Amino acid sequence: MNKRVLQIFSFIMVLALALTGCAAPAAPATGGEAAAPAEEAAPGDLPRNETLYVGGLQWGPFITFNPVAPQITWPNGETMLIYEALFGYNVATGEIDPLLAESFTMVDETTMEITLHEGTTWQDGEPLTTEDVIFTFELGKTNTDLDISTFWDYVTEMTAVDERTLQIKLNPERLNVGQVKHFLTRTSPVIPKHIWEERATGDTPISQFVEENPIGSGPYQVLDYSTERVALQRFDDYWGKDLFGLPAPKYIVHPIFDSNDTGNLAFQQGRVDLSQQFAPQIWQMWEDQGLPVGTWFKEPPYHLPGNIPMLHINIHKPGLDNVLVRKALAYSINYAQIAETAMSRYSDPAQPSLIIPSGGEGALFNAEQVAELGWEYNPEEAVRILEEDLGATKGSDGIYVLPDGTRLGPWKVLACYGWTDWMTAVELVAQNAQEIGIDITTEFPEAPVATARRNAGDFDMIIWTHTGASPASPWARFRDALDIRGVPPMGEVAFWNWNRFEHPDVPALLDQVAASSDLEEQKALYSELDKIYLENIPTIPLMYRPLEFYEFNESVWTGFANADNPVAPPQQNYGGIRGYFVIQPK
Amino acid sequence: MATIAPVSNAVSVRPGLLEGLRRSLAIATKRNRRFWFSLSLLTLLIAFSLFGPYVFDKTDPKRLIGGLYDSPSAEAWLGTDNFGRDVFTQLMFGTRTSLTIGVIAGLIAILIGVVIGTTAGYHGGRIEESLMAFTNIVITIPSIVILILLSIALTTRSVVTMGLIIGVTSWPWTARAVRAQTSSLRTREHVDIARISGAGAASLILREILPYMLSYIVMAFVLQLSSGILQEAALAMLGLGPSNAISLGIMLHWALLWESVRTGAWWAFIPPTVLLTLIAFSLLLLQSSADEIFNPRLRRK
Repeated sequence: MNKRVLQIFSFIMVLALALTGCAAPAAPATGGEAAAPAEEAAPGDLPRNETLYVGGLQWGPFITFNPVAPQITWPNGETMLIYEALFGYNVATGEIDPLLAESFTMVDETTMEITLHEGTTWQDGEPLTTEDVIFTFELGKTNTDLDISTFWDYVTEMTAVDERTLQIKLNPERLNVGQVKHFLTRTSPVIPKHIWEERATGDTPISQFVEENPIGSGPYQVLDYSTERVALQRFDDYWGKDLFGLPAPKYIVHPIFDSNDTGNLAFQQGRVDLSQQFAPQIWQMWEDQGLPVGTWFKEPPYHLPGNIPMLHINIHKPGLDNVLVRKALAYSINYAQIAETAMSRYSDPAQPSLIIPSGGEGALFNAEQVAELGWEYNPEEAVRILEEDLGATKGSDGIYVLPDGTRLGPWKVLACYGWTDWMTAVELVAQNAQEIGIDITTEFPEAPVATARRNAGDFDMIIWTHTGASPASPWARFRDALDIRGVPPMGEVAFWNWNRFEHPDVPALLDQVAASSDLEEQKALYSELDKIYLENIPTIPLMYRPLEFYEFNESVWTGFANADNPVAPPQQNYGGIRGYFVIQPK
Repeated sequence: MATIAPVSNAVSVRPGLLEGLRRSLAIATKRNRRFWFSLSLLTLLIAFSLFGPYVFDKTDPKRLIGGLYDSPSAEAWLGTDNFGRDVFTQLMFGTRTSLTIGVIAGLIAILIGVVIGTTAGYHGGRIEESLMAFTNIVITIPSIVILILLSIALTTRSVVTMGLIIGVTSWPWTARAVRAQTSSLRTREHVDIARISGAGAASLILREILPYMLSYIVMAFVLQLSSGILQEAALAMLGLGPSNAISLGIMLHWALLWESVRTGAWWAFIPPTVLLTLIAFSLLLLQSSADEIFNPRLRRK
């Protein structure tokens, strides 16, 4: 080839490489040495061995530190780093760990008594008392836009016995201890009355208040924030230092990455110590590259399951309204392949049940019933259901048509763009369905669009989770999937039961199981509910996902909790606050 | 990348068209090794995409044969993709889709470009002014933006639709160049003679003008084809490729989403990149060497 040919060739090569964005493949990570690269020591920056870098909980620029806003900048109300809740939910044990509160007891069936720790104090020196707790929860009475407003569906009264003791009167009509515990741990942290009382009475709704200098009760305060990071500084007068000690990192910084892969690369290179991001094939980091990286489990599934991403089916569309069609679809899906590829081995193959078979809910899982009434990957059975049970015939295009003339598709299955595990899962669902003769294709709208369509029921199929593991699970998940009460009709905004499933037996069973405190009785009732689920198939579980991805790189900090050393649960939020107290600089 | 460079003025004015072609090919055979090299490379790529699946007995690109990014092995010669499908099989089908889209886009663009270009060039005056004004307006709008908007508007995009939308956004350069050629050809004597003999405008364009630009149009098509393939790749990488299909761009899209660069799964992103490069390279080389054959001015050099 002459010179001109070479010129053309190199031009195209550069063009193609630019197209693929791989013109400059990332330099291989070097582990420990790379832990303190010069670029971290930007002006005014923090000593690396005193700073913990975390990732995966903040995307996009600062909005507000207001813990009751709908969208809160890290560390939002869930990390317990600035604002604390009464208890911290522990995803590993399913229990609620003491935080501001020392204990809770049931005085009788409808009365709960909570005792605060001695010496709880706000960061400005004011004492934190039961008055602050009551103020926080009562905000939900006057501000119906707050998540906490539904607390009062389950509680009739919250009173202070004294500065340290609270009594909660449960609503006997909707007795649900699990749901109340959920509110005490997750939905809202306690906020200081002396600061927020004035804001609560202003013209601006309290959820819209832009808080820049949050005063909480937790072990950290805001140091600075920018479009690139949010930085916290340890509050050395933390009220709990005699009780819990002080966390070792003097600073905690959350860099704000523009995408998942930049965050994962930073983690791989040791520039992030603790990450909550989906990082495909994380085991390669220690198996192939010898990096000091770990997850909760050393073996698959590496993470603790805490959620069930499901295929929500629009049960009101012609074709999809037929439960046998949904059953055929359920049999066509290769769950093991989804776990292996879409979830990068971070899941066991999904079982047909609304209960997570392991962890805190495992005791309620009825394996016999699931085997009897459930489904598994079996394309032959799917075809048999279509042909024999439904009498469907295959059209010339390879797609089945029901005897009444309804063609099985074209249907769209939605997943949010960029949520790669979900996108891959639904791509596999579409492929599996096409293989047996159901016409499904994928569509990947941006997350806000997908969320709006989900809420309005504007979908054929969509992948989403129900409520994850919490003190209220699996009750809340059954409510989300099966309960029509409080769900507006299609077209309006629903917060759960997006396909508007309805069954006459569900409300009574749900209320019964919520009020039950006996494990055997609970198991029987949940089995009843799961049976309704299995017989109607409003959704199809596709895989399990952890509540949070929990990945640590011990280049700078060591002693992170894991399944062999479960000193803290595998999470950054909620009960995961204990994790910051157990690590040490290397 | 979104536009094509105008082809150099290569109008064969030889009256005996077949004779000219014969002589051109004779010269090509003797002298132009680049022409034959690029033609063979292109033929090889087309054969790979059309017959490869049967030759290698890999006819189902969607068959799941392994896990997430399995390394190359005896069964999966180029490893597996993020779905656990064979990358090598995907390459053959992906090349086929990419070529198909390119051909459709190229044909559409040429068709629109030639119709507008010859009409404007032949008639001149107001018609020419308005058509060229329209063309110039379309040129100023970045075609990638139109492509993205069109692709978003269509929730289901078949291979044909993709070819269509790429085709209808990439014709202006061809139209401009064809107009220039037509304006110069219409004053030729043989055109005048035909006009005096009473031939209509359509007949004149078809019989007296187009044949003299044929080589030129073929070369423009080759360029449109190559740019169509690259545009498809760009769109597919943004997640706007054809639905339920496999193309080289879609392969790259998933490879990027699944961080194959970071995880070291080179087989997911290098093979489609190389294939795209080879296709574009062979087409550009074919165009530039064919230009030398058909263009007497270049030929003499």
